[in-house]
Amino acid sequence: MLSIEDYRLPNGLRVVLNEDHSAPLVAINLWYHVGSKNERRGRTGFAHLFEHMLFSGSEHVGNTEHFRYVQSVGGVLNGTTFFDRTNYFETLPSNYLALGLWLESDRMGFFLPALSQDKLDIQRDVVKEERRQLYDNVPYGTAFERLLHLAYEPDYSYHWPTIGSMEDLTAASLDDVRKFFSTWYRPDNCVLTLVGDFVPSQARELAAQYFGDIPPGKSFPPFDLIRRETRSERRETFPARVPLPRIYRLYHLPRMGDRDWIAGDLLSTVLTSDKASRLERALVYEKQIATDVAVYVLPTEATGMLLLQATAKEDVPIDDVEHAIDDEIERVVVGGITEDELTRARNRAEVDFAHQIENYDTRADLIGMLATFFEEPKRILDWLEPYRAATAGDLKRVAQTYLVPENRVTSIFVPEAA
Amino acid sequence: MTDNFRAAAPPPGPPRPYHFPSVTRKTLANGLEILVAENHSAPLVAARALIRSGADRDTAELAGLASMTAELLDEGAGDRHAIRIAEDLGLLGASLGTGTDWDASYVTVDVLSRTFEPTLKIFADVVRRPMLPDSALERLRSERLMDLLQQREEPAAIAGKRFSNLLYGRGTYGNSVIGNPESVSHLKIDDVRRFYSGNFIPNNTAMIVAGDVAAANVVDAIGSLFGDWPRGPEPERPRITPEPIEKSRIYLIDRPNAVQSEIRVGHVGVPRSSEDYFPLTVMNALLGGVFNSRINLNLRERHGYTYGARSAFAFRRQAGPFVVSAPVRNEVTLESVTEVFNELRRIRTGDIEQRELEDTKNYLAGVFPATVQSSSDIAGRLLDMELYDLPHDYFDHFRENIAAVSAEDIARVANKYIDPERALIVIVGNAAQIREPLGTLGFPIHDLDVDGNLLPVA
Repeated sequence: MLSIEDYRLPNGLRVVLNEDHSAPLVAINLWYHVGSKNERRGRTGFAHLFEHMLFSGSEHVGNTEHFRYVQSVGGVLNGTTFFDRTNYFETLPSNYLALGLWLESDRMGFFLPALSQDKLDIQRDVVKEERRQLYDNVPYGTAFERLLHLAYEPDYSYHWPTIGSMEDLTAASLDDVRKFFSTWYRPDNCVLTLVGDFVPSQARELAAQYFGDIPPGKSFPPFDLIRRETRSERRETFPARVPLPRIYRLYHLPRMGDRDWIAGDLLSTVLTSDKASRLERALVYEKQIATDVAVYVLPTEATGMLLLQATAKEDVPIDDVEHAIDDEIERVVVGGITEDELTRARNRAEVDFAHQIENYDTRADLIGMLATFFEEPKRILDWLEPYRAATAGDLKRVAQTYLVPENRVTSIFVPEAA
Repeated sequence: MTDNFRAAAPPPGPPRPYHFPSVTRKTLANGLEILVAENHSAPLVAARALIRSGADRDTAELAGLASMTAELLDEGAGDRHAIRIAEDLGLLGASLGTGTDWDASYVTVDVLSRTFEPTLKIFADVVRRPMLPDSALERLRSERLMDLLQQREEPAAIAGKRFSNLLYGRGTYGNSVIGNPESVSHLKIDDVRRFYSGNFIPNNTAMIVAGDVAAANVVDAIGSLFGDWPRGPEPERPRITPEPIEKSRIYLIDRPNAVQSEIRVGHVGVPRSSEDYFPLTVMNALLGGVFNSRINLNLRERHGYTYGARSAFAFRRQAGPFVVSAPVRNEVTLESVTEVFNELRRIRTGDIEQRELEDTKNYLAGVFPATVQSSSDIAGRLLDMELYDLPHDYFDHFRENIAAVSAEDIARVANKYIDPERALIVIVGNAAQIREPLGTLGFPIHDLDVDGNLLPVA
């Protein structure tokens, strides 16, 4: 059983400790409760660009030195940005815990003095290359972006993907960086999670030493995300330089962690996970009209999403694939699922969770998420409970409620005429 | 606590001991090797069958055969058809996979420890008694032809394939592991069955298990499930046939709408068995193997040309490629290639700072525990050990072997194994925009289509 200690420093920093001596390592993980959701129009992509900036040095840590300090002692590190949060993490040999806390506290408290236009210009270029490499220069690369544009109104900040637009990246200024830092990067908007080989009393002392004197912020900007319900499906067909037609769909779900989101997660496993799952069996194995099909839910805080994609084989009309998908969903809506299917989906959730907490780094990240989204880091102790409690009836009801045309958007990529 | 505790990095505490899990080994009378490592930190087990035959056994005509055989293994085995296998494994909480790389074929399963025993029985069926049905071959062939079609529009895939093919020709390492449209179209179920029976034999196989198990029980269970598997004759392994490169040259593959150039620079490298493995590993990490390496710092952090650039030696059973790869925006293609060549030339001069050498060695030696936390990580290390005939105490001496590498070693192996004057440069990008600047490098430029056919001079 995991032991979880959860407390706050006077400046509001939430600290979560999970002592575990199986390996001589410590995972340090910070979740800042800010992501692309907090961007405004005209500055899309900024939260992620800012994440890059936070690796470019702070008052006592030179440019690219953050990486060097961690790697040169055998550590691994990275950071990621998503709609609702930005995380920074390193796994170090446990005798370097103080080093990791020194680095993270320096950029939380002393980032601005090291800022420069040169650094911003370089990281802006790097992020633009990231966008080119992962979105613009590859087939289907903009599919998720297109789905988001269809699914959310322009004033709802899930409307754009984390990477943002080239135009907005160009517009980002040094002043934007300063304001963003002051608004969001503060101890009372962060969860620090430590997992691994440390003595808790010493970890508490170090956390207080390195983070205790960083001042909290004043207030948070007013922020209200209300998704407007749609009454009918929004669809588009997009001719692109792709070899095969592919259908993408987004179904709205309640937010991550909600009972229906959990049932949606299990339902996604019933639909696609192996040859015996509904959609793979029907489309790929039996009818053999698609090369692949995948359904999954995303861990989003403001509202939930269940994503679906399937690729038609050459010479198979994408309509046939779409009809086959709808037929299979209809079978679940009408007939529900079997107890065996539910058991298999629960087993997969159990194994996935066991893998997630097996490594310190992924365990720390899960704790950070539970603390950030639900204010309940100890929820990791009974994370599987709602998965065990979900019934076949719940999955059927979720299919009936959410997997309906008026609750979805569809983007179909088709090969452009030569 | 002093006021200036922020001024410099805090010193480390005393180092904490780390030990790679001990490994129980047994070789069955039929030649099957068994390796088991106990790891009780999570209620999980990772089991791997390693068959020492990969795509390196494929002939040019039947490229893709090894990987197709692996894909067919779970399409029915023992007395279960394909769907039944998936259903039964799902009820046990097990994920089974099959795979192929250049050196080996694999069957893998990751499962909860409480259901490992019944899972192992199905696993043994998949390894020993696959049905290899013709109907499944037809379906998988059709899927694979679609995958190959998709890859024709993926710049990184095009660059990788053309680079390998130019280096190794039509022979071993010259195709992709999954073959090409022509070879895949020709595969017959009899080829698959012949490949299976010639290579899936106990004296060509190791069973590796890591996780929350009792080693003695696992050895017994594997003995009873695999002990009566009959031996076979050792299969042939074709030799690689790379073409020598007299002088560096550029191959350009045009993608008229591309917004980036996918760059590959390199040549044939060395086999995993090289006596210079450790100096090469350190040298490459310093050159382009990690984030803070020279090539990435230069192209990404100094110039902002790319989201990431790297170099790698593919240490395979035979000499795999050495390659530098970088996707960069069209406008800086020439500059990027120039900087790559600057770094390749500079590493050969012996211009090595002590600090970067120490940082690199400390990283390689120190990062090991962080990369072997999970049972599946541990199983992966045992696979390497088995596949490349590493000594049983390999991981115990890994750190000191890295620590022994000197600056002189770096310069020596850089000179011996990296040769920018005899390298291939493959670029997939917007030819109209990048051809003219590339011409200033002084290397001849040849145009290829996406399938590697030489195009007439424009």
